[in-house]
Parts: sequence; structure tokens; C-alpha cells
Amino acid sequence: MPPTVKAALAATLLAGAAALSPQAQAATPRDALVMAWNLDALITFDPAQIAEVNGNDIIRNVCEPLVNYDLKDVSKMVPGTAESWTTSEDGMTITFKLRDNLKFPNGRTATAQDAVWSMHRVVGLGYGNSANFTQWGFTRDKIEQQITAADDRTIVVKMDRPYPVGLMLSAMFASGSTGIMDSEIGKKEAKTVDGRYDWANPFFKTNPVCVGHYRVTRWNTNEVVILERNENYYGEKAKLRRVIIRHVPESAAQRLLLEKGDIDVARLLNTDDLRALSKNKDVEVTATTIHGFSYLAFNAQDPIFSNPKVRQAFRWMIDYQGLGSTVLEYQGTPRASLVPIGAFGALDEKEGQPFKLDLEKAKALLAEAGFPNGFTKKFIHSANSISPQIAQHVQANAAKIGVNLQLEQMADAQLFTRARAREFEVLLIGWGAGYPDADSMISRHAVNPDNRPEARLAQYPSWRSSWQDTKINEMADAARMERDTTKRIAMYHEIQKYMMDNGPMAYIYQTVRPIAVRKEIKGFAMTPFDVDYATAGK
Amino acid sequence: MAEPKAAAGQPPAAAPSSSPPRWVRPLLRQLASVAVTLLGLMALAFFIGRMLPLDPVIAIVGEQAEKETYDMVYRQLGLDKPLWQQFLFFIRDMLSGDFGNALFTGNRVADDLKRVFPATIELATFAIMIGVGIGVPVGVLAAVYRDSPLDHSVRFIGLLGYSSPTFWLGLMGLIVFYAWLDLVGGPGRLDVSYIDMVEPVTGLLTVDALLVGEYDVFWNTLSHMILPGTILGYSSMAYISRMTRSFMLEQLGQEYVTAARVKGQSKWRVVWRHAFRNILVQLITVIALAYAFLLEGAVLTETVFAWPGFGRYLTSGILAGDMNAVLACVLIIGVIFVALNLLSDLLYRLLDPRTK
Amino acid sequence: MSDNSSTLRGWLRAEVTTSPRHAALQRFYFGWLRLKGNPLALFGLSVLLFLIVVAILAPVIAPVGFNDQSLTRRLLPPSAEHWFGTDELGRDVFSRIVWGSRITLYISCLVAIIAAPVGLAVGTTAGYFGGWTDTVLMRVNDIFLSFPGLILALAFVAALGPGIENAVIAIALTAWPPIARLARAETLTVRSSDYIAAVRIQGASPARIILKHIVPMCIPSVVVRITLNMAGIILTAAGLGFLGLGAQPPLPEWGAMLSTGRQSMLQAWWLAAIPGLAILTTSLAFNLFGDGLRDVLDPRSE
Repeated sequence: MPPTVKAALAATLLAGAAALSPQAQAATPRDALVMAWNLDALITFDPAQIAEVNGNDIIRNVCEPLVNYDLKDVSKMVPGTAESWTTSEDGMTITFKLRDNLKFPNGRTATAQDAVWSMHRVVGLGYGNSANFTQWGFTRDKIEQQITAADDRTIVVKMDRPYPVGLMLSAMFASGSTGIMDSEIGKKEAKTVDGRYDWANPFFKTNPVCVGHYRVTRWNTNEVVILERNENYYGEKAKLRRVIIRHVPESAAQRLLLEKGDIDVARLLNTDDLRALSKNKDVEVTATTIHGFSYLAFNAQDPIFSNPKVRQAFRWMIDYQGLGSTVLEYQGTPRASLVPIGAFGALDEKEGQPFKLDLEKAKALLAEAGFPNGFTKKFIHSANSISPQIAQHVQANAAKIGVNLQLEQMADAQLFTRARAREFEVLLIGWGAGYPDADSMISRHAVNPDNRPEARLAQYPSWRSSWQDTKINEMADAARMERDTTKRIAMYHEIQKYMMDNGPMAYIYQTVRPIAVRKEIKGFAMTPFDVDYATAGK
Repeated sequence: MAEPKAAAGQPPAAAPSSSPPRWVRPLLRQLASVAVTLLGLMALAFFIGRMLPLDPVIAIVGEQAEKETYDMVYRQLGLDKPLWQQFLFFIRDMLSGDFGNALFTGNRVADDLKRVFPATIELATFAIMIGVGIGVPVGVLAAVYRDSPLDHSVRFIGLLGYSSPTFWLGLMGLIVFYAWLDLVGGPGRLDVSYIDMVEPVTGLLTVDALLVGEYDVFWNTLSHMILPGTILGYSSMAYISRMTRSFMLEQLGQEYVTAARVKGQSKWRVVWRHAFRNILVQLITVIALAYAFLLEGAVLTETVFAWPGFGRYLTSGILAGDMNAVLACVLIIGVIFVALNLLSDLLYRLLDPRTK
Repeated sequence: MSDNSSTLRGWLRAEVTTSPRHAALQRFYFGWLRLKGNPLALFGLSVLLFLIVVAILAPVIAPVGFNDQSLTRRLLPPSAEHWFGTDELGRDVFSRIVWGSRITLYISCLVAIIAAPVGLAVGTTAGYFGGWTDTVLMRVNDIFLSFPGLILALAFVAALGPGIENAVIAIALTAWPPIARLARAETLTVRSSDYIAAVRIQGASPARIILKHIVPMCIPSVVVRITLNMAGIILTAAGLGFLGLGAQPPLPEWGAMLSTGRQSMLQAWWLAAIPGLAILTTSLAFNLFGDGLRDVLDPRSE
């Protein structure tokens, strides 16, 4: 028999045997939480660098901030690695007292010096997360004087203005950027490359040594992330020894894996798969409304979109109710105001969503603006999740009143590039607020400190839209510094109403984070800002 | 899969009738032209990389980063240098095997490739085993029974293979054999409970599992590989059977076949011992080419099956606008194909009786 | 059979041709007869003709427009009202498939229209001038040939940006090299013929010789080659659409439909199955027809 025929026989035999072989036990390991997710965007575990949702979700289980959001109510702050804090009488200094039994996974004791070094490094590296500090007046030049360690357990933070402490705690000290890294390892691994100190970023990228419930033990890009329990954790240790996060970028595949019990948790599911799973008795679907938005941004440089009436017309072209009961099920809650429900100072659900589908009204607004016959514009959006459906929905409604939108879908990376460079006419994009206070959204989406192109303030969506309103800038600053809670709320309400009429964005929905979990998993806790892996048990 | 293009190398020109090393000169000329082609490849890859409408800086600094950080990384990546200088640096790096960092994974591209290539090789090897194992005998049979119903059905099945969108076959296969019938493993290379059970030695999971005697892992890998492997194998089978048939037809039409038959040799002896042996060189070239073309098929198949291999690495790189990763992949594919063509030319020159 | 000579068939079968046109028509007729004897090729041809008719009559055949949405009628299975069901925005899939045939034909024809002249120009120039021109042009050709089509198209379209036009350009960039190679080979065979020499002596410029005398000789084989490549072009276009780099929504390009359909394929199998079948049928039709055509025109396989 010639060799090829033999090979053919062998291959056929193998194939048959594989098909008949017993399948894997449809159960996940007893001491592990197995989660399927899309890990495409994950490029680092350095808490100073992480800029995307999924990485942030993971790192908050690896790197604990100085203070935590209460798992039941995010407007309340509870101790994290700091057991207490005090504010000076002039309101300019906050002093944190660290717990006395903080240990890194490697057994070394974590001190205030480690904590201070870690915060300096966030600002020193200057990635997007440094804004957690710089927006409160901390700067690269002065940070070493502004945040200091008085002794092994005391951190002293000096501010340049008396910001309300509650705001500071939730905005700055509960952010992942205040996690305590091992400065001994950090200083050893750090190098100076091309005259720049790298703060051990290349080392911590894959191996963040940090105080938290878990530590990262394996990360195969676009394949799997494995976390092991930190046996030296100061408090109650995580219930499960390992967390295995597997890259499964398809909703349908995640659903199958979950139904078969190959995974415990599915994090990337579309509406229809979620609807099907919610009927499955082995699975529980939880939808948490989080502090993020999906919105249309208009470029005010464009002669047509510079007209607020045109932008207003778009708000009447969105079928908020129709979307809400179909496409947005498990994905979002229709909302037109820029402050998310659940944040301090938000308009209530009704006031924050006064629009409905009304093409007559939209057409009238366009006519008032001088475009009774419509116009043609390019509309770019992400290819991910439900963005294509939302975009096509808006496109179809707009077409009915003569507005011709030419859609182009692209990868997120490309969409961000275009948005940041102001290279768009209309785009559909998302944004996550950093903390549960109206200030979080308003300070970026409404405030624009400098609208000149050369200012390149691309971290401000308002700048990306080339939109600036000095009155709003002043109002937002006044509201931020206001210590009277009632007054502060009133000021935020006013800003939100103004933005709904004049702003450069049409907010479509507040993001919902759907998670489908098998019933074997007990006690899994989550908030809009945290998914707490350590609480999950079997 | 599209029908693979003809070998890129020129058919060997009639050898100049000069002194002993008469194959040396054409060989040198060939090598020189390969060098020029490689340079062109790099230029093309570089050009494509620079045209990507994405900002590599954002991939590093994050979407909400400030101007200072942005500018710093921009300079670090050398993007402020003139284009020709960037190209020179690029060639220097490529020649020294330094593909830089992949922005979308955060790793060195070379390390990433070391990780993803074995996954694709494993899949492609499985596929080519099916392609050769079925394609060759079927092609021979079709040639022997020319114009019979057998020949026609082989031809039709082959054309069907050419015409099928592999990504669609993959999706349908997943629905039927995984979701409905539960006969095979789902997307990915392994069930999650087997992850991390075997230390990578070769990177080929099946081999690694057998090396340490983890038969569960072996069968699990195989159950994941069977669907994407069969689908890829189908396209190579279509190509291989077709080429085998046409090579065999050419041989069976030769006088020596008739002569051998007249001498009383059995039909199958003539077919396998003489005709088939004569097409082996051509066949090996075709199989090598089919193997390389599985890289193309892998781009879509790996996307559908979440297979962490080269094809998916390339697509993710393209979608993320990752210059370094895309450049390296494009270049590697180019080099593989140039090398294959060179190899097939050499094979012809050395082995084919007609060029002697 | 002299009594046949008065009929058209007789004229076409005449043993002595009376004019070049007569000869050409006769070749065509005999080719057609041979093609007629190949049921698979005929089947392919009729599918293609059917497709063209569907594309032309799309507004008549499709019950509704390709982007008529109805959020309340999402993901309905195939029924008498919606033959192929509805999609995630409540659009009629049958209508979208019908309208989509236009996009598929548009892409494949446009690629052919761009790639053929480019390939012809490069190939004939290289073949006619020889020497350095030939070396340089064929090196460039080799560089393009050293990539699998889809990967090169993917890279180009990533650089140019997604969209039908850019997909067409990207695919055309991968489709011209084999044509150039073919045209060069044809040119080499006629370059030194007495006929071309005579034209040259009369003082015709190279451009004129190539355009007027060489290109026409190459056209038939180029047309056949393009037909054979059509299935590959369609699959590449669908692959680009599938990866989100081809036609953009809401256009009903089949590959893009398949890609969105994949998201709901577990509860709506028809969203993935039907566009895929459409792609398969079309590319199979081109392959069957092209295969038959090759039998007719390639004497080696006879």
C-alpha cells in the first residue's frame, strides 16, 4: 500500500475515534471560578496603564484601592487598604491610616511608602489613569511633595483647593490607581530607557505585585488569564482558589459553554442569548446598570452640526421606547441626560429622558435650522456589540426625513483614533464614568477648558466635538467646589437640562452590564463599579 | 478557498549550454531575484503598515490619555522621524529578526508568533492529512476511471470545495455538530478544565499531551480540532485531488503505460508503480503549496472557531491597527511563499527527469 | 449535406468559412455545442443568468426594501410571509438576499473591469519591451503573487478603510497579477511574428502596436481567465464582508449579513444559513461554468 493511502486510513481512523471519544466532564473545577469574556482589548495588568473596562474589572480584584465603594450602595465609602482617614480643618489635607496587616502575595509587608510610591508612579507614567490625580491639581513636578508618607502606616495628601472630601474619596481614592504595588520589586525592576524612567512598567504589565484578593499567575494574550488566591490577604480570603478567565469573543459560543456547564460565568452575551438563558433554570442572569453611556457625538466644526437645532432634531429621531424594549433589553436603559442614574446629582428617570420618537418634530427642527430637505453626513460606529443595530436604527429613522447617513463600521481602536483626532461628522461611541458623582461626566463631557485644535485635549469628549461653552465651564467648577449638598444637586440638574438642549452629544442609553452565572455559584457580589470575584463560592 | 495561483517562480528557462557548473548561474540569478522580491515585500508591508488609518499611540496610552503622554510615546515609537528613515530602521530591525512589540497584546511580536504558530501548524497539519489522505487516492481513481460517474462526482465535490465559504461551513458545522448533536468540541483548542494541564514543549497540544501521557487532554484537543481541521482539509482536498487527477491523466496518456500494459503488467501495478511514481515530484510541490495556502484558509476559520493561531492573530492585528504585528505577519507569509516557490523550482531542476 | 447550407445551422457548420467573422462565429458555435454537452456547466450558466435577472428585477421581486425595519418583528423564522425569516432589526431576509445579489455582481464585475486592463497593460508592456522593463514589472508581479489573495486584500482594505469601493480596489490589486502573467506569455508568442514586424516597419509607435495589435490578441484568453477567477473574487469579497471590512451596513452584502447573523445563529439559524447558501450557490455557479469553459477552450484537456 502506498504511504499516502496509509496516511489516509490513519486520518480517517483518528477522526472517527475522536468523534466517538467520551466528552469532557461537563463541570468546571470545584475550586475555581471559570469565566468567559472577550479579552481582545486587554494589553496590560499595570494598574497605572489599564484603560479599558475588562482590564479594570479584573485589576480591581488584584489591586485594592485605599477606600472601597460599599458593595450595597456605591455612594457610601468603606475602608479598603486604609482603615481610616481624617481631614484637616481648612479642608486642604487628608490623612490616611493604613491597616497594620497588609501583605503582598509574596509575603512582604505593604507600607505607606509602597502606597505613596505607587501613586507617584501613576502620575509619573502619565497614562490616562494619571487624570485620576491631575484633575485634582496634582502634577508630575509636585506630586512627591503633595502625597507623602509620614510613617510606615500614614499617608498625607495635600491638595491645592478644598475639594469636598466625599467627592475626593469616591473620585480619586477609590480608583484602581491608589492600589499598593510592591515598591521594592518595582525599584529593582525599573530602568531608564531613552532618558525616561519606566517605573517598572514592562515588569508590572504582566505581573502586578499588589495588595488584593488575587494575583495574576498566567496571562496568554487572547486566550486565558488565570488568577490565584492571595493567601496573605489581610482580611477574609477569597472563597475560590483560582479564577480562570477564558477568551471567548462570541456570544453564541459563550452561551453554549454556559449551558453545557463548561464555564460558570458568561460576560459577553447579546440580547437574544440572554433572553434564552434567562429561561434556563440552571442559570441566573443579572443586569447591573453601570455608569457608562452610549451616545451620538456630533462634530460642531461641521457647519450643519454646529447648529444646536440640528443636534436637537436627532434626539427626536431615536426611538427610545422601541429600542428599550427590544435591542436594549439586558444591554442598556434609554437615557438622554449625561449623568447616569445612580450617580450623585443625576436627574430622575423621567426628567433625564424627555424625548421620544417624533419625526414630525425632528423635521420641523431641521426646517427651523434651515435644512428642510435634509442633508448627507458620514456616520461612523463600532462593529462591536449592539452598535451596528443602534446605528442602523438611527440611520433608518433619519432617512425617513431626508437625512442621509452613510454608515461605516470599524474596530474600536479605529473609532477612538477618529474621535480623538476630531475626524468625524457623527459617531456612535461609549464612555464610562470613573466615579458615582455628576462631576465625573460633566467634568469631561460638558467642560472643555481649551477648544483650540492645538490644545489636543482628546481626553475631553467635549473637545473632540469641538464644543465649548464658558458658562458651563464656570457652572461645573462652582458645582464641584460647592459644599452644600442641596445646592450642589440643584446646580447639576441645571447643567444637565442645559446640556440636553445644547450639548454636542445625543445620549442614547446608559450601559447595563449583563452577567449570566450558573446557579452553582453562590454569593457573587457586584456593583456598578466592581465585580467582586472573591465573594463567589461553590 | 480560492484556487491557488500558479507558482510564482518562473518555469526554469532552458539551461545555457556552457561548462560544468551550468546550474550555478541560474541559481545565483534566482537567488538575486529572490533578494529583490524580499526587499519589495518589505516595502509593500511597510507601505501597508503606514497606511493603516489607526493610531498606534492610542493603543499604548489608552483612549483617555493626555497630550503630553501621547507625544512622549509618539516619539518613542519613532513616528516623528522622516518616512525614509523609518523604513531604514524597519529593514534593519526585520533583518535582525526584531519585529518590535505588538501593541494590541503588549508582548514582543516574536514571542507572540512563537505562541500562535504552533496552533496553526497543528490545525494545518491535521487538515493536510485529510487533504492528502483523501485527495490523492480520489484524484488517482478519477483519472483512471475518467468520465465515469465516479470522475464526475469527484469533480463536482471538488468544485463544491472550491466554492464553499469556509467561514460559513464552520458556522454551520458548529451549529450542527457542536450545538445540536454534541459530537465535537466547541470553539477554542481545549475545554476550559484542561487548560494549563500540559506544559507546552512543542506547542502542538496533541504532541505535548502524548509526551506526558495525558490522554484526556489529547482526545479533548482532537475533538476541538476535528471540525475546523476537516473543513480546512476539505478545501485542500479539492485542490489536491484536482491536481492529482490532471497529473495522472498526463501520465496515463504516455506510451510507456500502454507498453507496460501490453507487456502484461496488471492495471493497478502500472498505475501505482509507474504513473504515480512519476508524478510524485509535482505532487509534493502541490501539497507544499496547499499546506501554505491553509494559512489563508486559517484567517477565516480561526476567527470562526476562536482558534488562537496565526490567522486570528493577523486579523486581530489588522482590526486593532497594530502595525508591528501586521508587518511581521505579512512579511512572514511573503517569505514562506517565496521560499516555497524557490523550493519547487529547485525540486524541478534536481528531480524532474525532463529537465536533466 | 448541401440542403443544410441554406439554414443558419448549416452555415455555422460549413466546412469552408467565407470570412473571418464567419470563422469566429463558427468557433463560437462549436464551443457552444461542446458546452451544451456538459450539464454541470450549463447548470452553472443558468444559475448565473438567473442571478443577473434577479439583480436587474430586484425592485420587482423583493417584497420590501432592504432596510425596512420593524423592531416588533425581529428574528421571525421563515414563513409564508417572510420566506427567509427576519433579522435582528426585523428586516425581511428574502428581500435583503435579493437586493444583495446586486452588490455581489457589482463587486465582481467592477473587480474584473479594473483588474483586466491593469493586468493587460502590465503584461503586454513587459512582454513587448522585454529586458529591464520586463524584469522590473515581473518582479513587482512576483511580489504581489507571493501572497494569498485574501490576506493581501485584507491588508489593503485595512489600509484603505472599509467599504465597497475600497474592497473592490483591494481585491482588484490581488486579481491583476495572474492576468499580467498570462498576457505577457501571449505577448511573447506574437511579439516576433512577421505580422507585428510588418506593422513595426510601417513606423507604428510601440504604444500603438501594443494597443491596436497585441492587446486584441490577448483579450479572449484574459476573459476566460477572469471568469475562472470570479468565484475566488466572490469568496474574497464575502470574506472581507464577514470580517466587517467590505460593504457597510445597512447594505445587504451577503458576507456582512452572515457576519451579523452569526451573533444570533443559535436562535435564528436562518440568519447564518441563508446568506451562506447564496454565496455558495453563486460561487459554485461560476466555478461550474468556468470549468466547462476551460474544457471548451483548453485543448490540452481534450
